[in-house]
Amino acid sequence: MDGAKVTPGRTAGLYVGAAVLRLAIFTLLPGLPDLLTGRVEISTPVTSFKRLQEGLFLYNHNVSPYDGGVYHQAPLFLPLFSLLPSFASLPIFTYLLYIAVDLLSASALWKIADSGEAGSSALFTSSRREKRWSGFVIAAVFLFNPFTVATCIGRSTSVFTTCAILHAIAKAVAGAPLGAMVALSFASYLSMYPLLLLPPLVLLCYDRQRPERATKSSLQFAGICASIVAGVVAILFQMSYFITGSWEFLPSTYGVQLTLSDLAPNVGLWWYFFIEMFDSFRSFFLAVFWLHLSSYVGGLTVRIRRQPLVVMTLLLGIFAIFKPYPSISDTSLFLALVPLYRHVFPLMRYTFVSAAVIMYASFLGPAFYYLWIYAGSGNANFFYAITLVWGLGKSLLVCDLMFAVLRDEWEVERPEMAGKEIRQI
Amino acid sequence: MLKLNLQRVVKYVDRLPLFTRLVIVLAVALEMAAVLPWWDIRAWGRLEPDLFNVWTLYRANTYPLIHTDVIHLIVNLFAVTPLVERFEAEYGTLTSLALFFGPLSLLPAVIYVGIERFLLRSNTSIMGASIWGFLLIGMEAIRAHRTTPYLVIRGQPTIPMWTTPIAVLLLTAVLMPGSSFLGHLCGLAVGYICGMGLIKLLAPPAWALRLVEDKLNLRLRVPYYVSMDQVAHGRFGVLPLTTVGAVPTSVLQLRRDPRILKLPPYLSLLCILVGAAWLFLLPLDRYSRRTYISENALLPGQVHTYFGGSDQNVFRAYKHEVNELVGKSNAEFNDKLEPIVKSLGLKTARQNFTYHAAGHTYSGENLYAILQAPRGDATEAIVLVAAWENVKHEVNRNGIPLALTLLRYFKRWSLWSKDIILLLTPDSIAGPQAWVDAYHDAHDTSRVASLPLKSGLLQGAIAIDYAQENRFESVHIVYDGVNGQLPNLDLINSIVNIAGGQMGIGTTLQEMWNHDNGYPDRLRTMLRGMLKQGLGLASGAHSSFIPYHVDAVTLRPFGEGWQDEMAMGRLVEGTFRSLNNLLEHLHQSFFFYLLMQRERFVSIGTYLPSAMLVAANFTIMAIALWMKSGQPATPVEGVTPKAKTETPTTTAERDLFLPLGVVTLIQSLSIIPLYLFNHAPESMLTPLFATFAVINTLLPPALSHLLTHSHTPITPQQYNLIQSFSLLLLGMFLSSLATLNFSLAMITGLLTSPLSFVRPAKTQTARWAVTGLLHAISPTAVLVAGAVCWGVDVTSVLREAAVGWHVCGTYSAVVVWCVWWPAWVAGSVVVLGGRGGGQGNKIKVV
Repeated sequence: MDGAKVTPGRTAGLYVGAAVLRLAIFTLLPGLPDLLTGRVEISTPVTSFKRLQEGLFLYNHNVSPYDGGVYHQAPLFLPLFSLLPSFASLPIFTYLLYIAVDLLSASALWKIADSGEAGSSALFTSSRREKRWSGFVIAAVFLFNPFTVATCIGRSTSVFTTCAILHAIAKAVAGAPLGAMVALSFASYLSMYPLLLLPPLVLLCYDRQRPERATKSSLQFAGICASIVAGVVAILFQMSYFITGSWEFLPSTYGVQLTLSDLAPNVGLWWYFFIEMFDSFRSFFLAVFWLHLSSYVGGLTVRIRRQPLVVMTLLLGIFAIFKPYPSISDTSLFLALVPLYRHVFPLMRYTFVSAAVIMYASFLGPAFYYLWIYAGSGNANFFYAITLVWGLGKSLLVCDLMFAVLRDEWEVERPEMAGKEIRQI
Repeated sequence: MLKLNLQRVVKYVDRLPLFTRLVIVLAVALEMAAVLPWWDIRAWGRLEPDLFNVWTLYRANTYPLIHTDVIHLIVNLFAVTPLVERFEAEYGTLTSLALFFGPLSLLPAVIYVGIERFLLRSNTSIMGASIWGFLLIGMEAIRAHRTTPYLVIRGQPTIPMWTTPIAVLLLTAVLMPGSSFLGHLCGLAVGYICGMGLIKLLAPPAWALRLVEDKLNLRLRVPYYVSMDQVAHGRFGVLPLTTVGAVPTSVLQLRRDPRILKLPPYLSLLCILVGAAWLFLLPLDRYSRRTYISENALLPGQVHTYFGGSDQNVFRAYKHEVNELVGKSNAEFNDKLEPIVKSLGLKTARQNFTYHAAGHTYSGENLYAILQAPRGDATEAIVLVAAWENVKHEVNRNGIPLALTLLRYFKRWSLWSKDIILLLTPDSIAGPQAWVDAYHDAHDTSRVASLPLKSGLLQGAIAIDYAQENRFESVHIVYDGVNGQLPNLDLINSIVNIAGGQMGIGTTLQEMWNHDNGYPDRLRTMLRGMLKQGLGLASGAHSSFIPYHVDAVTLRPFGEGWQDEMAMGRLVEGTFRSLNNLLEHLHQSFFFYLLMQRERFVSIGTYLPSAMLVAANFTIMAIALWMKSGQPATPVEGVTPKAKTETPTTTAERDLFLPLGVVTLIQSLSIIPLYLFNHAPESMLTPLFATFAVINTLLPPALSHLLTHSHTPITPQQYNLIQSFSLLLLGMFLSSLATLNFSLAMITGLLTSPLSFVRPAKTQTARWAVTGLLHAISPTAVLVAGAVCWGVDVTSVLREAAVGWHVCGTYSAVVVWCVWWPAWVAGSVVVLGGRGGGQGNKIKVV
């Protein structure tokens, strides 16, 4: 499977297979999409398809989509979905859009995998890089991951962010800094948090520049990249302003994420804290939580300077745990990038434990949510406890991957220690 | 010889350091002081748990120095002196003084008093220096353990060094009468903890001691003084022969120890056995509890019930009308009954429904009426259900007239604060289900009509199932809901209370007509309840209400007695009055319980561990198999002791794709039986089942053949992984299920428990023998066995399952086909996959 030759037929087969699977679920199980759309594990206040439809309805009736406080997503979604035939009468076009976005993400992932950036970056070459999975396998793992499929069926708008982030990385790896920055700007415009990926992405672009038009000065390069992002985001904001006619969308989209004003339960760790918290402490803890989330960026970027892709992978894992409104879509993005590090899998120590914990949590989560909301025999603590376990499983995986990558770096530095027992002091 | 020995003894005693001497002198002096007649020094100084408080803390220092008699003193001094001397030589006099008159006496004392006072609740005093002796032995043992972890007997490391003091402890307990085992144990425990490094934290800081030592110039002034700097490596910086990373290394070694892999099967067997045994303990008085009313507002049996008198005549009239209708169609009796209900001055409505299941059509028309509460605002309602037929298809001859009479009677009262809904359904399962679904707008409009008339939130429902003609003796309370959900225990308790306490009517549960409240009857009630809960089928007209969080029961009179219909009516009236009192939804009492008699139950906290233990056994084995798959393949099966010490340092690469693929394939195949059995018409069910049973027998060998004869033959490691993944999934499903339907998880867990222990069989005979045994617990075999056991045919079992699936949304079939069956297939494939078969044949040929 590792070295299998990828023919165009197999590529097409994979994409067609993934598309058919999704179409089959959409058409054969007509109740499932709406069921999944309502699940808190898939739809958060900032990605829910139901809320998008509400916003769309208001928009089409010339009312500000942010009236009523239900819609918290980027304004540019509205013209996009208005262009599609109405969801109520012809849902197939919406389905096709979502399927296409998933396939686009997979193709970006494929490019990242085939570049070999995970095993050998500009500044670091792993001694284990020979052992890796082809882009076909990695794209297949992404496309047939149940979390990805569920997100697609639940029509969460986070798939657009996922697609933009993966394309940003793919462009960066291909040596196209401009494309990478534009893609990241789109991701940041849609969900805000991808902006935190800017430092490692700039480093990745810098490392992978094409030699013929390379910028030597790193500071100059970073400055250019940052101004591209700022420029593109500014243009997007201006377009949003023209569409909605006011700056109201800023507090309603990014403000909600920053202040966590919608406390609907989700699989993250924030909502329960802020439900329980006295109002006087709220702003302080908001600052603390956001600071915590963003503090990983600097540290990881500096520590694993030689492998910026690793930094982005780990950051995406951390965001999936500590974001204000995480969903399984963020986890599926992280899990899509993890197989790129096939070469360090032998160095990981808790794969089975973290996989088992994640699977246990993904079964117990819905059961406990049912006990809390429907059966009435449990309470909020049931569900929150299981989201803690879910977070634990993912943080185990993040830590384990980080350990494996650092160990791999260390073995290149000190080849005589390869395979020996080490102990942290 | 003797002289020489004596000289050595004298020399030894002469060289005893200061603190040791102090201890000996103090102990002897106190022993002598005990003869004083006016001061009972033993009572003053001993450690007496009940007298131990802040003001008597001195006892924590005095008890090691006081002894019961001279012999005790001598024995202890002989045992303790060398140990204390050694300790002092190593740590210095000042430290010893600080430790022995501080934490090393206080800690065992506190532990002992804690155990004695709070756990054992007794008051046994202890005294004597032996507690120090055990403490020091414990410390020494831990230290010795670091250098020589095992006592070597006949060339094999057999006994871990640290356990040796336990042998001494047991010997002392056996040989010395009156010695305190617990006291010694506390000393030993503290010794262990100190040996592991706690002593570093307990000792006073080195600089302080050194300051005292230097300022007072103790080294020169005091004879026999042991300086702290005399110690070889400074103080505690590095304990002799202990490296900083000793603990992690030993943990890692433990992880690699091949013996650790031998443990999980026993552990998981233990889990299963404890889990199963746990169930049988539950009916005992110690583990079950008496029921009680939690919700104060219910006030069961506190009101007078007035139903009776002239209502009897009304009842007879209605019964006459109903008797006329027996044998007529659903629409006809609705046409007849609707004017009757309307004439009471109530709003009525009808609802049509049609369900298709197992090739049959279940259709009909519900009739319901709403009595608007004179004192309510139509935000809450209670439902009175009377089905035309009960689950056994007997006509509810008395139930329907009684419900009508009660409604007419309720209409006269002005005290209702909740609406009362009378629901008359043609059958006991589809009709109520359609009505409740539509009431909560959760119905499929293509099959079930919407309700034209609604009231408020349903607070409770009582179904009357009164098909019996004669007078009755007791009332049977049926409480199982769909998918094993149960009504709030307060509802059942209230009915038991009203029936027994106010009306003098007996109540029974789970068809236990005669319950003597002994252990066998309690167990039988509980097991019947669990079986019903596990099957998850609707057991009456009330069952459909429970998934909507509406607490509901069916009341069914039975037996030959002197209670008449009016008594039954009064019971319903009393219950409705209680429900009418409710200020909020029933929530105080339990939703998860097992009833073993009408007044005894166990709650979820007590019984859940048994199902969780059974589910945990699968996870334990999954982890063990995963670890086993990571070990490099050894050429020889029998591992020699030498090989045991040479632990493998690397884990083998695992090939995950094939095992994951196999498990995914089997898991996705399970959709086929689920779909087929739920969608086939009834006439096809038996042939289908027979075909499936045959395929079921052939599938594991076929899969196994495919795996072994593909171009890359499957390895034992991959078999381990297949089993590991399959057990992991099983454990995961069952532990999630245990929170929703305990009984189903427990039953499935017990039936699949052998799958934890199957291994690829080595010989052909073993292979087929184990496969045969596995077939005995396959879902198909269990289904047939269950059907035979209850005297029904397989077809009707499958039909009931299909009806449950389509009408009520019972998910038991999903558990059987998508949880149990894949695990069973994976287990069978593993058994058949022994490499012995293929290779054995080859060897024979060669």
